Amino acid sequence: MVDAGLLDAIVQGLITGSIIAGGALGLSLIYNIAEVPNFAHGDMITIGAYLALVFNNPAEIPFLPAFGSAPLPAAAIVGVVLAGALGAAYELTIFRKFRQKDADIITMVIVSLGLALVLRNVVLFLVGSKNIRYESASVSNTNFDFLVTGAGMTVRTTQRQAGDVVTTGLWGYPWWLLAGGLILATAVGYGVFRAYRREEGFDTVYLVPPKILGTAVAIATAIVLGALIQLAPQGTDPIVATRIGLSIKHLTIVGVVLAAMFALNVALKTTKFGRAMRATADNMDLAEVRGVDADRVQLLVWVIASMLAALAGVLTGWFATNLTPNMGFTLLLPIFAAVILGGISSPYGAVAGAMIIGVSMDVSVYLLPSHFATYRIAVAFLILIGVLMIKPEGLWGDV
Amino acid sequence: MSVLEIRGLDAGYGDLQILTDVDMTVGEGEYVTIVGPNGAGKSTAMKSVLGLTTYMDGSIALNGEDIAGTDTNTVVSKGVSYVPQSDNLFSTMTVRENLLMGAYSLEEVPEDRLREVLDRFPILEERQMQRAGTMSGGQQQMIAMGCALMVDPDVLLLDEPSAGLAPDLVVDMFDKIDEINDAGTAILMVEQNAKEALRRCDRGYVLVNGENAYEGPGTELLNDQEVRERFLGG
Amino acid sequence: MAVADFLITLVTFIAIYSLFGIGLNLKFGFTGLIDFGHVAYFMVGAYVTVVLTLPADAATYGGIGGFDLPGLFAALGPLGSLFGWVLGVVGGMVAAALVSLAVGVPTLRLREDYLAITALGIATILNTVVKDEDWLFNGPYGISGIHKPLVDVFPLSLGSFTVNMAVFGLLSVAVFAYVAYWLVNRFREAGRTGRIAMAVSVGLVSLWYFVMPAIDGGTVELTKNVLWLFDPTAGPNGGLDYDRFVLILAVGFLAGGYHWVERTINSPYGRVLRAIREDEDVPQALGKETFQYKMQGLMFGSALAGAAGALWAVNIGFVSPDQFASTITFFAFTAVIIGGTANNKGVILGTTVFWAIRNGTRFIDVPSQYSIQLAAARLILIGAILIVILYYRPQGLLGEQDYDIDLPGSATGGSDDV
Repeated sequence: MVDAGLLDAIVQGLITGSIIAGGALGLSLIYNIAEVPNFAHGDMITIGAYLALVFNNPAEIPFLPAFGSAPLPAAAIVGVVLAGALGAAYELTIFRKFRQKDADIITMVIVSLGLALVLRNVVLFLVGSKNIRYESASVSNTNFDFLVTGAGMTVRTTQRQAGDVVTTGLWGYPWWLLAGGLILATAVGYGVFRAYRREEGFDTVYLVPPKILGTAVAIATAIVLGALIQLAPQGTDPIVATRIGLSIKHLTIVGVVLAAMFALNVALKTTKFGRAMRATADNMDLAEVRGVDADRVQLLVWVIASMLAALAGVLTGWFATNLTPNMGFTLLLPIFAAVILGGISSPYGAVAGAMIIGVSMDVSVYLLPSHFATYRIAVAFLILIGVLMIKPEGLWGDV
Repeated sequence: MSVLEIRGLDAGYGDLQILTDVDMTVGEGEYVTIVGPNGAGKSTAMKSVLGLTTYMDGSIALNGEDIAGTDTNTVVSKGVSYVPQSDNLFSTMTVRENLLMGAYSLEEVPEDRLREVLDRFPILEERQMQRAGTMSGGQQQMIAMGCALMVDPDVLLLDEPSAGLAPDLVVDMFDKIDEINDAGTAILMVEQNAKEALRRCDRGYVLVNGENAYEGPGTELLNDQEVRERFLGG
Repeated sequence: MAVADFLITLVTFIAIYSLFGIGLNLKFGFTGLIDFGHVAYFMVGAYVTVVLTLPADAATYGGIGGFDLPGLFAALGPLGSLFGWVLGVVGGMVAAALVSLAVGVPTLRLREDYLAITALGIATILNTVVKDEDWLFNGPYGISGIHKPLVDVFPLSLGSFTVNMAVFGLLSVAVFAYVAYWLVNRFREAGRTGRIAMAVSVGLVSLWYFVMPAIDGGTVELTKNVLWLFDPTAGPNGGLDYDRFVLILAVGFLAGGYHWVERTINSPYGRVLRAIREDEDVPQALGKETFQYKMQGLMFGSALAGAAGALWAVNIGFVSPDQFASTITFFAFTAVIIGGTANNKGVILGTTVFWAIRNGTRFIDVPSQYSIQLAAARLILIGAILIVILYYRPQGLLGEQDYDIDLPGSATGGSDDV
């Protein structure tokens, strides 16, 4: 048996990070453009999760007639759209009014706290506190064993089917292939990086920062090569071995969040309204002078952020299997930590911050004696505090 | 018909009234300056056109249309453009993006006008993709002015365009403003540097304590004994 | 239970939470620090006091405990054990202040919203530590059997039933008289809305406290409520029971804390704190080390929270980590804001309103299956009130208080160029 090791902890951390990132994306929008440190964001996540539940598994909710259930993806979409409408409501009834009164940042914080109280308890009121789950197809976990042998590396995939552990795949990469593949991937990534980067010396703004693009391309190339060129197994007597567990669920979560991040970034950087949103974040009065309807921008910010929060809620509920009225609030601290860590002003920063927080949470749980498992959230905080002491504006500032 | 006509304007901030019964006119293609001591209300008068102040009484007409009390972002789409004294660009966005934001109130990006602006300020073309906040003070003023020109306004409102510029850049700035005016855009300018402003403009207004004090062709005001003593240092 | 007993419990809670709130108000209302982790000092004060005063043999759990200060000092005489307990409370306050010092060092230089989050994070971490480290304070099981000061003295009896009733009864009526006098004075000073509010609330309370018990239970009930200090069932001859003593203790602490803060706020020192709240750059430009002042404000406010924690422990009888969740801080913020930020009387008023809503609705008869819904509805109401007050009356019901030394009149700022 191969044990799950540090690599698995890192992978788990990336998935945790994705969940946090889902929340961080929305929060960074509100924090940056609406200038509200939104303490209700966790509960907006909860509301989104439960909205999807209404359509997916209504039987679980008291006093709702059981009107059949929709598959989770469809229910999620409906839930996200409804959450967007709620977001508009929050802006129109609450935050716009306070903005018109020129409320300061502290007032906004406490207003959002009030909203958080209301949202959380509305869920509690309507649904009660028992654990509820989504009605969705169960997904099986595949374990990837990586065995480093004298001849190279062997990869074995196993799954649990009908109670037994079944080997579903076995292949390997000899050393020369490993080395060649890694060099090729790095070269491709570097090439993309150089080609994409413009003149040196100026602070220019890119759609996707060249370093990130280069790294992403390198990793993608390595994975593609690994998937395409699978040779015979290189022996099963490992010098060193590790295991990571992955499922479609994990990949979907990471994929959805990355897609959302990319879509948001494209919207902000290339569309006219996206520019207006960034301009409003930069200097709201000047934006008005240039013809931007700041009220419309803020409305859209709240709608998009609520939709992103709802998406994060559905993913969290799906991942954690259970939904509870507190599920969003427990994520609130790591999400804030991620946004502040990554610098408020960019979606990439928020996601990067979230990944760092997620990985450090799960790696620390792995490294520390099991007794310390409950300190997961504390780790996120210690990292945030540490970073803030060195760089009070966050790691990235502007990406 | 004048491009901009202010009649009997009372305005201020919140409960504080700054302007009392102010009158001002800018004709088509005219170059008009507002000068006066600190606290006279010059910037307030300009900001009132854009709806950035608390409107109390009077009328503000743009091309004959009453715009007093209208939302800022609506006013901007009616033919007036404004370059604030400070905080006048989006420092986190590139030069090019700033210029594109200048044209926000238009349906499509006016490529020809963008071309004109870049031609008029060549350094901006060179540094299009640079983050605006990292440019020098003079260059930032150019960006701010370029933005305002993107909509080809009927009247361009400039709030102390020479503020904070080195002396040789000040002359450059005034030359550029002359050029813009020669091309047909009316100019309404608030200036601390009264001598230079009055020398170049068509007409000027002197505001004192929020009220009209003097008015007339620029050269006349420049040579007027009283005006010289009180505001131009004799 | 007689309405008087219920009221005594309620007022004790209000007194303790008001002290907690006054500590928060010092940090937030007067110095402008948003400490979302305020409950941590409540917890530290409670735990440290408990541990310092716990009898040595009662520390049956595997953890730090049982320093038994009261026992140590009991040898000095009858009030020795009380002195020992007070020493324990002081220890709790000092511990709370020291913890806030540790928290303040990394966080006070951050901008306000980051300060809020990190303070919250640290309080969460501390709570997790106390909950999970069994060796420290018995982890999630908490500590019970804590020392209650002077508990052996009570119920206090002066001799016969009649004497007790007479003496304590007279004292009760005296308190009512003083309260009535104070209310009349406030009524005279108040504006129209204030008068209406006072009339309505005093009327409702009187109805609930005097009239309804009289209707329900006749003169016996009415007498019990009027002579509230006297508990006829305490001991063979009636007298002052321990709950009433705790109430007096709590009110005494509150009065002490209130006066201490009032004197500080109205001193030149307090003026600097308030100046820092307005705009930190100004006092800094005048040469004041604002960081020191902020730290002191933080420590002082935390010490008060610690004292409240010590009282809390005595009142409840045991301490456990679940009593100190972060939502407690948010409730305190709500109370402070409703009553009036930067107004100590406002804190007391806000806490009263908050607790009245929380406990008043307990009287609503609802089938137990809906108890969760009722609790949720209460919190929805509180959240909504918070937003509404912040919009329509952000200075709270009473607004900011008047000071003996005012800050220089705030000019409407702005540049020369208008």
